[in-house]
Amino acid sequence: MREKRGFWSRLEDIPREVLYGLLLIAFIIPMIKPIGFPVPVSPETQKWYDTIDKLPAGSVIMIDFGYSGGGEPELGPMAVAVYHHIFKRGGLKAIAMSTSIEGPLLWDKAMAEVNPSQYGAQYGVDYIHIGYIAGTETAMAAVGKDLRATTSTDYKGNPLDQYPIMEGIKDASSFDLLIVFTTGGDQSEGWVRQWVTPYKTPYLCSVLAMMKPTMLPYQKAGQIIALTSGAQAGEMEYLVKVPARGIKSADVMTLTHLLIVVYVIVGNIAYYGKKYSGG
Amino acid sequence: MDLGSVIQIWLAALFTVWIYSIAFRDNVFFKFAEHTFVGAAAGHNIVYAVDNIRRYGWTPFTQGATLYLVVFLLGLILYTRYHSKYFWLSRFPLAIMVGIGIGLSMRATVTAEFIAQIISTASLQLVGVDAWTAFSNLIFIIIVVSVVYFFVFTFPGLHGGGRAVIPKIARYGMMAAFGYAFANTVLSRFQMIFGRLDFLMSSWLPLPGAMMVLPIVLILLIYAMIPAEKRPWPKSS
Repeated sequence: MREKRGFWSRLEDIPREVLYGLLLIAFIIPMIKPIGFPVPVSPETQKWYDTIDKLPAGSVIMIDFGYSGGGEPELGPMAVAVYHHIFKRGGLKAIAMSTSIEGPLLWDKAMAEVNPSQYGAQYGVDYIHIGYIAGTETAMAAVGKDLRATTSTDYKGNPLDQYPIMEGIKDASSFDLLIVFTTGGDQSEGWVRQWVTPYKTPYLCSVLAMMKPTMLPYQKAGQIIALTSGAQAGEMEYLVKVPARGIKSADVMTLTHLLIVVYVIVGNIAYYGKKYSGG
Repeated sequence: MDLGSVIQIWLAALFTVWIYSIAFRDNVFFKFAEHTFVGAAAGHNIVYAVDNIRRYGWTPFTQGATLYLVVFLLGLILYTRYHSKYFWLSRFPLAIMVGIGIGLSMRATVTAEFIAQIISTASLQLVGVDAWTAFSNLIFIIIVVSVVYFFVFTFPGLHGGGRAVIPKIARYGMMAAFGYAFANTVLSRFQMIFGRLDFLMSSWLPLPGAMMVLPIVLILLIYAMIPAEKRPWPKSS
């Protein structure tokens, strides 16, 4: 015979189908009818924006497009917003590589969203992708030491020498800024070890929100100029004035997190209710 | 929109719905999507692995960099681990790989992960800054010192008596850090769900027929979630 459970016991054990169902509703409502919660710009996003904005004309940026498909919904909007900024700002050269195997595919997707031609930017002149380079930290060290010895072609397999953007690019010293979008801790920390420490390359890092606590000490120690999570893409879109997926997600994130707070409160009430009422 | 893109969107949408259905209950559509994803990811990795060998090994080798022959040999020797008699040979390339990996990361680890962090903590100011910053820095220093103290296991006496308060402070500090990390993890996961839902709503549902297919997909999913013994057909999942 099934044991009769008390109110607190049932409250503590709400079926996950109900919890996920409510969560799904909390996701969908603001997507259908946006609420318009404000998107305040945090100091680190502002610092990131200012760093790119203040680069002298002709500066060369190394971009590690190192996120995986699973991290695209979070880091994709941030990467797209940053590329918009680089092209809008003008006079900068963006050389991308990938330490993630899916990187080149996702870079293509991001470029389709950015549409560089609207800013007059040309592939091989203003931006390029030199491909996925295997080895993670070994790849970073190799590219930093001698880029041409590591890879002689771009991600399409065309020789690098045919592209004007690659003129004079030899090693880490050829770059004025390092920007990393990654879903891997080995990558975000590896760049500190292989580029920031030996070559003193200024470093902007964007990681998954869950990786941020691990990377914060590097920012505090000055090894990273600005650290953002992909969840801050809305702030970047606001600064760059190109509203897209990031801003759209702000309402959803606020509402769903409020629901999680409610879940935590209900869970605690049920726990203490059960404890003090004897079940 | 070309037919290739339409097919791509339909497949991505169906697999998204099937994969997220596990949040509610296990079902055959989820299993199919999961196995397909694992197979596709393995295939993608193999293609890239072969391309890497071609780009970074074979091409330089055919252009005269004969030293790459050593690298190819080492790579092939790795596979001797599947041989019952010569498996020990695979330890040599493995040792070289581990050695290079450790050597590369160690060259800057001390500076990047110890000295820089210690300097950063030691240079926190308690005077000459505003009250809030001073308070924040003080908390930071107390937590750092107490957490380091927490992990001194050599002398058990350090964790007993009146000194037990220090590991207790460390535990609170670490719990706060774990809480912050967990909250950020929730944020990351929600961003992923948002990304997929946004894709479904912005790219899939506007396609012709999608709005009609969605309820059918959901009904089939719900039916597949019914335990095999309770549904009329099929009796096994």
